[in-house]
Amino acid sequence: MTTLDTAKRVLAGPHRRVLYAFAAAATILVAGAVIHPGFGSWTSLRTMLVLASFIGFVGAGQMLVVLVGGIDLSMPWVLNGAAIVLTTSSLGQSGRLPLAVALALGVGAAVGLANGLGVAWLGVPAVVMTLGMNGVLQGLSLGLSKGLTCGSCASYAPEPLRRLVVGRLFGVPSELLLWAGVALFVTVLLTLTTFGRRVYAVGNNPRAAFLAGVGVRGVTVVLYMLSGVFAALAGITLVAYGGQPSLGLGDPYLFESIAAVVVGGVSILGGRGHYVGVVAGSVTLVAIVTLLQAERVPEYGRNVIYGLVILAILFTYGRERADD
Amino acid sequence: MMDTYAVHAEGVDRSFGGVRALRGASFAARPGEIHALAGENGAGKSTMIKVLCGLVKPDRGTVRVTGRLATAFQELSLLPDLTIAENLLLHDPPRGRLGLVVRRRLVPVAKEVLHEHGIDDLDPRTVTRDLSVAHRQVVELVRVLATRPEVLILDEPTAALQEQQVAWLAEHMRRLRAEGCCVVFTSHRWREIEALADRVTVFRNGTHVTTRERLTESEAVTLMSGRTLDATYPPLAPPGDTVALEARVGDVEVKLHRGEILGIGGLAGQGQRELFLTLFGAGRQKPAVTVGGTARTIRKPKDAIRAGIGIAYVPEDRKAEGLLLPMSVRDNLALATLERRSVAGFVRRAAEHRAVRDIVDRLAVRTASTGHPVGTLSGGNQQKVLMGRWLLSGAEVLLLFDVTRGVDAATKHDFYALVADLAAQGRAVLLYSSETEEIAHLCHRVLVMREGRVAAELEGPVGDAELIVAAAMREREHV
Repeated sequence: MTTLDTAKRVLAGPHRRVLYAFAAAATILVAGAVIHPGFGSWTSLRTMLVLASFIGFVGAGQMLVVLVGGIDLSMPWVLNGAAIVLTTSSLGQSGRLPLAVALALGVGAAVGLANGLGVAWLGVPAVVMTLGMNGVLQGLSLGLSKGLTCGSCASYAPEPLRRLVVGRLFGVPSELLLWAGVALFVTVLLTLTTFGRRVYAVGNNPRAAFLAGVGVRGVTVVLYMLSGVFAALAGITLVAYGGQPSLGLGDPYLFESIAAVVVGGVSILGGRGHYVGVVAGSVTLVAIVTLLQAERVPEYGRNVIYGLVILAILFTYGRERADD
Repeated sequence: MMDTYAVHAEGVDRSFGGVRALRGASFAARPGEIHALAGENGAGKSTMIKVLCGLVKPDRGTVRVTGRLATAFQELSLLPDLTIAENLLLHDPPRGRLGLVVRRRLVPVAKEVLHEHGIDDLDPRTVTRDLSVAHRQVVELVRVLATRPEVLILDEPTAALQEQQVAWLAEHMRRLRAEGCCVVFTSHRWREIEALADRVTVFRNGTHVTTRERLTESEAVTLMSGRTLDATYPPLAPPGDTVALEARVGDVEVKLHRGEILGIGGLAGQGQRELFLTLFGAGRQKPAVTVGGTARTIRKPKDAIRAGIGIAYVPEDRKAEGLLLPMSVRDNLALATLERRSVAGFVRRAAEHRAVRDIVDRLAVRTASTGHPVGTLSGGNQQKVLMGRWLLSGAEVLLLFDVTRGVDAATKHDFYALVADLAAQGRAVLLYSSETEEIAHLCHRVLVMREGRVAAELEGPVGDAELIVAAAMREREHV
């Protein structure tokens, strides 16, 4: 087989969208480097990658539920709630950090479990179930922390955690190593395990998967739990990055998680997509925003252009759908 | 130059993935004729039809259709959550002032449309999802017929139909021909082609072989497959005495022996589907089933697959209930038995590759590679993949529900041989088919169902399909 044939096959195959996602990221990075000197420097890239990693975490969770045709709208307040739980339970003390991390991730898992049970067993549409849980989490977060004015709410994230995000290992921000770990975990889970096979089967045709002996409900619940855990992980790392949680910390991440998933070539209808695409999608989103900021576009203009660029990227994918 | 054809395609090429579905194919049909398009699965009939109606763009070649075109597809194009009335009148609903749809007129108008086409036993308010496949097909056909087409293209219109519905459709096809309409249809049942078609075009391997006015079945089979066919039904080995599966579902008692092919006959929609689904754990009831000597309550398909000697269910609608079309041949084959070739949740790829390769070779599945999406395979090969999944599981009880629906003669023949062979090896087979002929020839014993009960039990091979039909129509015999 010639190289051209191989290239053609890859372009025609299921990996095409992933390539598109990387092409989109590369295009914007190159355009940025040309337009704005310094945009392509290692310092700038490193900052962008760290920012992209937060989107990468929520994107991982969102992708997992989107793969089975679901969606997780509870992300903003799971993220925010986990961030608050982390600081209020660790009180800035390193000794309490493991417990605090476990609690924060536990909150994510518990909310995910509730989402999964509601969607899979009670048959509540994912949009309704997860949006409802988002409201519940928002209310709990505001109520229990008295609008973030409680005594322990003034605490900062413990030092070791801050080092995780800000520190370096072999010259690479440790946050990026954590992201690489997440990417590896999600990719291995989806491509090498029996669970991953079942995920794609459920996403493609839940009825046929059920009749092939796949526990459709069980798979769904596990995916929503993972989604909650990844949202919580984003909350933990964000609070480590910023030092303290704020109210509304998670608000931008709902849109970004979905945008990263879709720009990353994951089919919103389920059954198709790879995490490497979401990685590229996350980088693309951050690169767009950074470039617009560097060009000093006022915020309203940034929002407009941000939205339009994402639509333009999706438009180039859109034509493929009918033939796939 | 003007041609007198209503439908004319020339030199058409079309590929899907790596598979060339059409290669330089041509097809032509005149107004006022019924033209049959024959060929094996994968010969390119469906693709040609999709090209003719503009659903698929040819890579190369010309296509011309003269006149108002209507098409009914194999994959039913009704919207499952709408009612019959809404589906029938989707494109031309009764409108009032301002062009708004007058909903209360939908049902009466639909009733009228159905009545005009001789269908009085369907309530237009029924949601399409709740209809049997046969009735859905009837609705689909009425919808198409009601557009008063000048060119009518029907892809496998009779595959899902009962005998009397086939006669009904034939009558309408002849009426349209008399009105000067060009009617093109595909079918795997030769007697329908013989009875209806003025001319027959045979396709093989994506290309036109011949177009003739007269063609015998054996000639056609030779032309379609490139080989001759021996006796249609294989001889049956005597069944064993060991009970493989024993269950009671509602009023039906099933006792299936090893090596036995038990036919479930009767008119369509007499509870056969529910029986099969229930035995596989996908019905409403959760029956207690004795499989290979061990009693189990089967709550979900997973229980059935793991119960005793293993149960397998092959559905009629392989696209909706069987296969994951965008996923690879490998993934589809391995899905039901993933954990058997895994360590700590990780798939053992080498073992999987061997197992999959073995099944693909054994069933002679035609695919460029096991990594290709199963959706790019022809219908017959897709069916083989579905059977292969359960051969891989080693299930000894096979529930085969109308699996030859829409499958060509040669593949059917392979399938009969496979079923007889599986039974001879000691597997137990429960078989339902909408073609009563198959039940009459391929089963050791036949339970004829009526309204969810067993109306009669016949010793087989029955041989004569009429006997089963007669038993299905008769009042329940007292046992």
